[in-house]
Amino acid sequence: MARLVQVQGLRKEFGNVRALAGVSFCVEAGEWIAIMGPSGSGKTTLINILGGLDTPTSGQAIVDAVDVGRLDESGLTRFRAQKIGFIFQQFHLVPYLTALENVMLAQYFHSTTDEREAREALERVGLGDRIEHLPGKLSGGEQQRVAVARALINHPKLILADEPTGNLDEANEETVIQLFHELHREGHTILMVTHAPSIGRLADRRIEFSHGKLVQVPASLRPESV
Amino acid sequence: MFWRLLWKLLRGSSGRLIVAILALVSGAMVISALLNLEFDIERKLTQEFRTLGANLVISPGHDAQMPGAAPAVLMKESEALTAIQNLKDPAVVAAVPFLYIVERAENTPVVVAGTQTGDLPKLEPAWRIEGEWTSPHDDAMTCLVGRNVARQFQLKPGSPLHLTYLDKNAQVTVVGIVDAGGPEDNQIFMQLNEVQSMAGVQGQIGLMQLSVRGTSRIISDYSARLATELPGFEVRPIRQVTEAEGDLLNRIRLLIVSMVLLILALTALCVLATMAALAMERRQDVGLMKALGGSIARIVALFMAEVGVLGAAGGFIGAILGIELSRWMGQRVFGTAISTRWEIFPLTIALMVAVALAGALPLRLLGKVKPAVIFRGE
Repeated sequence: MARLVQVQGLRKEFGNVRALAGVSFCVEAGEWIAIMGPSGSGKTTLINILGGLDTPTSGQAIVDAVDVGRLDESGLTRFRAQKIGFIFQQFHLVPYLTALENVMLAQYFHSTTDEREAREALERVGLGDRIEHLPGKLSGGEQQRVAVARALINHPKLILADEPTGNLDEANEETVIQLFHELHREGHTILMVTHAPSIGRLADRRIEFSHGKLVQVPASLRPESV
Repeated sequence: MFWRLLWKLLRGSSGRLIVAILALVSGAMVISALLNLEFDIERKLTQEFRTLGANLVISPGHDAQMPGAAPAVLMKESEALTAIQNLKDPAVVAAVPFLYIVERAENTPVVVAGTQTGDLPKLEPAWRIEGEWTSPHDDAMTCLVGRNVARQFQLKPGSPLHLTYLDKNAQVTVVGIVDAGGPEDNQIFMQLNEVQSMAGVQGQIGLMQLSVRGTSRIISDYSARLATELPGFEVRPIRQVTEAEGDLLNRIRLLIVSMVLLILALTALCVLATMAALAMERRQDVGLMKALGGSIARIVALFMAEVGVLGAAGGFIGAILGIELSRWMGQRVFGTAISTRWEIFPLTIALMVAVALAGALPLRLLGKVKPAVIFRGE
């Protein structure tokens, strides 16, 4: 397997607060990695840096041979559009756009829109009959499935999911996790932040954070071991 | 997708945008009304000033000869009329000759003006007449008398009046009382040929008064051309009228331009306040769009297009209302509707789009939104 993500000595500070204190690990293409740890331990900060939403204070975060920390604003924009699919705990759908339009929005910012493809993406996540619904008319689980369809529509190299089941009931959590299983089987690379050990156990590997540091990294995830 | 997004943005924030579009429509309405008024004000003002009477006078030159026992320096009526006819300028509303002599009525001296009384309504449309204007075709000798003369000699339409000039007598009938609000109220107006006959100066006049339609520049140009045609005469605009017209026009234009600028600024401020609130609401959406790979240029262009559509719609609706407003203002101020100038539409729309874009400054700041900061809830 080819290495998709390599993080080396990654540090991030917000003023006097140290969110990441020299984190190092790597991820192979096609792996499902669960990132776990208590609140404030730096999990979301790591996801934001890997997704090009934030920049590191020092260290390297290389995704698909791109050093995210070296990109300027427009470079980060292109990086996010072309390589990353985000799935957020709060879904973050545009409330005045339908499910279909929310998916097409990602297409629009990536390149050109293809309504047929967007419809297929929604059908794939089981929302073929909810295409013209506004997010407010969808359940939490349905909204998250729209977010999954949106994350996949541009065929990203890396899917970053920040507690994707954190706002869902058990039934919807099961549906969404099933989707992640399918994505994993199809060979997508997934980095998922989660608090739930039961979900963490579904991943290929788990890395655990505490106070901005990795406290448990499987040997196979250590950069020097690859 | 761009237009789809634009439509959804407009619908999605319709509450706030209604406030902005109301400001734009109101601003556009007043601005288009003022601009329409400004474009037509010169013509209207010129028409108004024409009611003030003559604005050009032809009088004998300084080297004119006194013909015999004539009471004043005179000139040939036919020469002046020929020159006016030669120029064939449609701006000339009236050209009326005058010969002034002092006659006696009941042994009291009174100024008598010999003129083409049938042309006086065109020269002096603001005069108020009790009775009738003297017809030049009447067989009987008739006259108009100023209201002071009528009061002094207790005259009314139909009254006989006996006039003497040196050793000549004339019996005339008053057909109308003139209320001019000026020295004309002290004068008597008779047919020119009768006065020429009494004064013994056939074909001679003291001056010719003209009412010329147009701006002070048009009047000056015409005056210069007429002076070229009449080298032995003095041709001069009545400066008090032409200059007052020009001065008033400049003042009104300055006032209108100042008001337009003020309204533009106020409209922009209103749009600015609305857009600042909208920008706060949109931070989440913009953060998400950026996270999805939306470039700053593309996102800001979307919002600017939204504001541009608002400006264009506000400008269009406001321009229609403004045209109606200007017609109403024209009716109230000038008594006739202001003509519609269709160039007002693109001008108003362009101004409103510019104002809306200027007022949308806060939306441009959305380009600085950091998705990670937004998602952290800061």
